[in-house]
Amino acid sequence: MKKTLIIPILVVFAILMLSSCIRDTDFEQADDIALTPVVELDLIYFNLLAADFFDENTSTQILTVRDTTEIRFLDDTEIQESLKRVEFYFKFTNSISREFQVDFQFLNEQNDTTYTTQTNVASGSVTTPVITEFIKNVEGEEILELTQASRVIVSVTIPSSSANLEGELNLQSKTTYYLEF
Amino acid sequence: MRYLLTCLFALWAFTIIAQNKQVLYGVEEIPQALLLNPGSIVTQKSHYGVPFLSQIHINVGSSGVSAFDIFGESSIDINTRIRNKIFELENTDFFTATQQLELINFGWRGKNNLYYSAGIYQEFDFITYFPRDLAILAWEGNRDYIDYEFDLGEISTTGDFLTVYHFGINKQLTKKLTAGIRAKIYSSMFSYRSTNNRGSFVTRLGDGDVNIYEHTLQDVDVTVETSGYASLRELDGSGEVISNVLGRAFFGGNIGVGVDLGATYTISDKLTASASLIDVGAIFHTKDVETYRATGTYTLDGIELIFPPIEDGEPALPYYSDLEDEIEREVPIDTLNNSYTQFRPIKINASLKYDFGRSMDGGGDCDCRNMGGNVSRNQAVGIQYYGISRPKGMQMAGTLFYYRRFTDFLSAKATYTVDSYSTNNVGLGLFADIGNFNFYIAADNLIKYGNLAKAKSISLQLGFNIIIDEE
Repeated sequence: MKKTLIIPILVVFAILMLSSCIRDTDFEQADDIALTPVVELDLIYFNLLAADFFDENTSTQILTVRDTTEIRFLDDTEIQESLKRVEFYFKFTNSISREFQVDFQFLNEQNDTTYTTQTNVASGSVTTPVITEFIKNVEGEEILELTQASRVIVSVTIPSSSANLEGELNLQSKTTYYLEF
Repeated sequence: MRYLLTCLFALWAFTIIAQNKQVLYGVEEIPQALLLNPGSIVTQKSHYGVPFLSQIHINVGSSGVSAFDIFGESSIDINTRIRNKIFELENTDFFTATQQLELINFGWRGKNNLYYSAGIYQEFDFITYFPRDLAILAWEGNRDYIDYEFDLGEISTTGDFLTVYHFGINKQLTKKLTAGIRAKIYSSMFSYRSTNNRGSFVTRLGDGDVNIYEHTLQDVDVTVETSGYASLRELDGSGEVISNVLGRAFFGGNIGVGVDLGATYTISDKLTASASLIDVGAIFHTKDVETYRATGTYTLDGIELIFPPIEDGEPALPYYSDLEDEIEREVPIDTLNNSYTQFRPIKINASLKYDFGRSMDGGGDCDCRNMGGNVSRNQAVGIQYYGISRPKGMQMAGTLFYYRRFTDFLSAKATYTVDSYSTNNVGLGLFADIGNFNFYIAADNLIKYGNLAKAKSISLQLGFNIIIDEE
């Protein structure tokens, strides 16, 4: 082979290298990439006794009991942007012979109410506890209201109570978060 | 997250088996062959690499996915394609990137017929195994995976940015045997690793006593070791970070030592065997070291309300803070400053070469190019083996090659390689000596050059040297 052949060979090789390309791809599709995980997490749970609705010391009824917990992750900026839909699932098991009204009041840092929901729990008996399920779907505008909140107040209201009222009200709950990143 | 994914996948498009320089191995014409086998046959009297240009090496690869798989034009929705890929990939699939830049490289033949070579090169090396379970969790969430144990032990990744100072000696010991050794000092600028992790995350249905689910972190032990990272956190802006990191290049970082060993043995006048072990060594991380370690077992049930008798205006019970404290107590993330030793990924090369064709040296008895008595022929075929130790075991590659020397000044080598990435990797290298000026270029996965997006890995090496031949 002659020395003059080097140049053509190098040129061919260089062309091969330079002509390499990326074809039939569309990187703008990257904008369409969306992670859409569906996450289920426990929320709150409690066990209220019939005795919690009657003050034995003063022999008076306590018609509403209340408790508050922070839910600080909800008003996180990332969550606010990514949360598309929320489904609350509440499962009440009632062995008290009274119906209950349960209110969920969501508050922001400034104590303003941003979102509320409520449900009624059917009455049961000690021998045959009754299960009441409550599913609340939140999406659209309501999501914006919900994700402003960092606290929730749970109020449980009984129409009437007495010293000899028996049984308990149990709640188990979970939340399904539909996210999109 | 979306941008991170885009970057990760897009990388594949511009890319180029990890650290395997199968085309360059055993090519006597270029001095850089000594970096792959310090015991290779040296034909020149001295060499000087052109500073910063004597070797540029880039290599990126992924074992299971190409850019085309994700970004190819298709009627199938991109998210469906990504989801399908996540489920198709296994936790032994990996993404890797290596880059090397030689700053200085030179060598000379001294007395006693010893060939000395020395130099400095900078190296970046990254590998991450595909954490399949975590990818599924991030992509799908846990709703459809009740009772499924997401394996946190799949997290396995290392990254290094370092400068290597090396000095080697090569000598033809007998007519048939040439051996060499190279000492290396590593100066680590930045390093992290997270390997040997364990633990799982599982969501199970509760037994009815407490809440709907039990979310359990089981037997978690996840560690991330970093070196050269803690001091960067306080810095302001990328400019400061870059100048700080580069400042460590000259022994300012953590120091390590290592050695390369190699030999070439002429079995007959046509058959030659060679083998080398590269980077047998370790870096001792003692300065600027921070290790994060999370350990423990914890089950989350949600928040229990106990409806305490509270008067209006009294603060509520801090359920949420208590929960956070409890998690931090049960699965603490400790920050440690313990020194640690990191072994370098050892590379193994071996080859068997059969020479044939016409003699290049006119058949004279005295052959300065090859004093071993092996007559230099213009063609050769052979097989090569390459292995590199990685966190989850050896990654290996086998290569068939054909070498041809066209003239005194031009030779070429073609390779066919089977490795973790593919079974149709064809590589080609051209080595030219124009006067004392030596140029080489080598690339693999040539079949894919028509559309790089379809390549799962590509590697490219090129460089310029000045070579002074034996008189």
